[in-house]
Amino acid sequence: MNQVNTLWFQVPFPFKQIIFWSVSWLVSLLFVTACEKKTSEPPDTSETRITIRFEHRIDGQKLQYDTLLYVNEAGNPYMVNEIQYFISDVILYPHNKGPVTINEWKDIHYIDTDLPTTLRWDVYDQITAGQYDSVGFHFGIAESENISFMYPNPPERDMFWPEYLGGGYHYMKLNGKWLPEGQSIQTLPFDFHMGIGQIYDSVGAITGYVHNDFPVILKSSQFEIMPGETKEIAIVMNIENWFKDPNIYNHDLYGGYIMQNQTAMQKAKENGHNVFTFAETKN
Amino acid sequence: MKTFLRIGFIVLLATACAKNTEPELVPVYKPTPDTLEIPYGFPTRLNIPDDNPLTKEGIDLGRLLFYDGRLAGRASEGKFMSCFTCHIQENGFVIGKPRPFPVGLDGQPTRHAMLPLVNLVWNEGTYGWNGSVKSIEDDVLAVITDPTEFGSSFLAVEKAIREIPGYPVLFEKAFGTKEVTVERIAKAIAQFVRTMVSSNSKFDKYLRGELQLTQSELNGFVLFTTEEGADCFHCHGGSGNPLFTTNLFYNNGKDSTFAGESDRYSVTGNATEKGNYKASTLRNIELTAPYMHDGRFNTLDEVIDFYAHELVWTPYIDPLMHHIATGGNQLVPSEKEDLKAFLMTLTDTSFIQNPAFGKPVSFPGEKTMILK
Repeated sequence: MNQVNTLWFQVPFPFKQIIFWSVSWLVSLLFVTACEKKTSEPPDTSETRITIRFEHRIDGQKLQYDTLLYVNEAGNPYMVNEIQYFISDVILYPHNKGPVTINEWKDIHYIDTDLPTTLRWDVYDQITAGQYDSVGFHFGIAESENISFMYPNPPERDMFWPEYLGGGYHYMKLNGKWLPEGQSIQTLPFDFHMGIGQIYDSVGAITGYVHNDFPVILKSSQFEIMPGETKEIAIVMNIENWFKDPNIYNHDLYGGYIMQNQTAMQKAKENGHNVFTFAETKN
Repeated sequence: MKTFLRIGFIVLLATACAKNTEPELVPVYKPTPDTLEIPYGFPTRLNIPDDNPLTKEGIDLGRLLFYDGRLAGRASEGKFMSCFTCHIQENGFVIGKPRPFPVGLDGQPTRHAMLPLVNLVWNEGTYGWNGSVKSIEDDVLAVITDPTEFGSSFLAVEKAIREIPGYPVLFEKAFGTKEVTVERIAKAIAQFVRTMVSSNSKFDKYLRGELQLTQSELNGFVLFTTEEGADCFHCHGGSGNPLFTTNLFYNNGKDSTFAGESDRYSVTGNATEKGNYKASTLRNIELTAPYMHDGRFNTLDEVIDFYAHELVWTPYIDPLMHHIATGGNQLVPSEKEDLKAFLMTLTDTSFIQNPAFGKPVSFPGEKTMILK
């Protein structure tokens, strides 16, 4: 240190000034650059993710809303106005490995044909690259998760299922109109609403409840996802199958509303196993 | 050179860590932030614009303007009107008179019946019967020039409020400037209106477990929330939606034709929305007659009878109106009484008597002006 001091005193005065100010400027520049905003890191392109689209078809074609275009298996001409429903607990089945449940920050997803943003679900979870044998999910909300008042905000809030009828939330509202037998113009509304059913005694008092949610494994839903890829898959609701297999659902018989008709909801539930199919979309 | 270098160095050090933004103007008064307490079961998502947060001073100013008959800017003509003229607290913030009321300052009746000013902080941007109004602020501005309401102008309103001693300083406290503009008037009133929350009706207390409903009220509640009953809940909410409106639009089977309507179709151009109007909130419904967008029904009994027997089929009827198959829900007289009893549990007396929403005791410059 003494050597440095000695050398400093040997430097001629004008050069001392130049050295002093140069060092000062360098220090201050260091301050300036230290306080600049940090630029964001480039996105990690190695993330492997999945996006799920929700499609709605009748007889293999994209659903056309509000038009009396379709005829169901029972022979009822009908139209669909809107569909709102929940799916939950989406499960991926990797090849030769145990199933993976997509948890994200919520495990229930709401789909509303009036709200395009709900028709695409960019799943937050990272997915392990590789081969997958199939995809499954729960239609509606499982009993343990179907808790009244858990959605205070719209649009999910407006799916609430009245406490008197079992509480929780509608699994689905499929709203449309059909042309009753003998009518040529005057369509009638049908509210094909699914949720918790009720058991009534002979005087009409409710003695128990039935949870009509059900698991779905999509047929032919194998796919491969590469490292770093965002794989887009589609869950397709084939609407005609709600009214078709194994039960032929006749709107003339069940009328415009079924929330208090467990027989009708049971038939819908049984038909629901064949309603959903899988589609893979090329990126 | 030495001096220059020294100054440069000092300046550089001084600015090294400063933000790269313009210096902010510091108002003389900094308004005090205010918050809303979200009642049990109510939505957690509030519609409060980023550029108009709630402040105590803004809300206080809004309340004064809401009730000040000079707001219309036509006091010199001997004409006084404010929000209060038609939105009366004891009537659930509607006028409480049958059509053709309300009428504007020039005698023209408004185009529609009134919607109550209640729980609007949870409306997500579709105000009015057809949802054409995007914000409460926009609604205030529209009222000023509407010939069926104030029939005034922005300039006249600004001038009127600016010239009342005491108001400019209240604007300064609320917005940091004494300058009176219609935008700030609208913001202040909107702040006040957003605080008007009703969450303490008999039904709310029932949901919170504080009391029991009568058997007739309970019967009515079951009718309200069942498809085989009256099925009101799909459009008007219930225990899962205590706003008692979805804030959505429906054709509920009132009419057979829809020519010249100011319906939802007139806003969206979607033909399936012909004859669609907002499902109004049923909170304080006992007080908010006349009913429907055109005020065609003067009593709850008339409304209940309509839904029971008088529905009109058209291709545009909402699919949720499944009772159209039988012309209505066919409630019998005892059921109608039960349903009405339940609807009356939605009356919130603490809301209609809350002094925070009532007329202020005094107004700026009132010694020099006649108030109505």
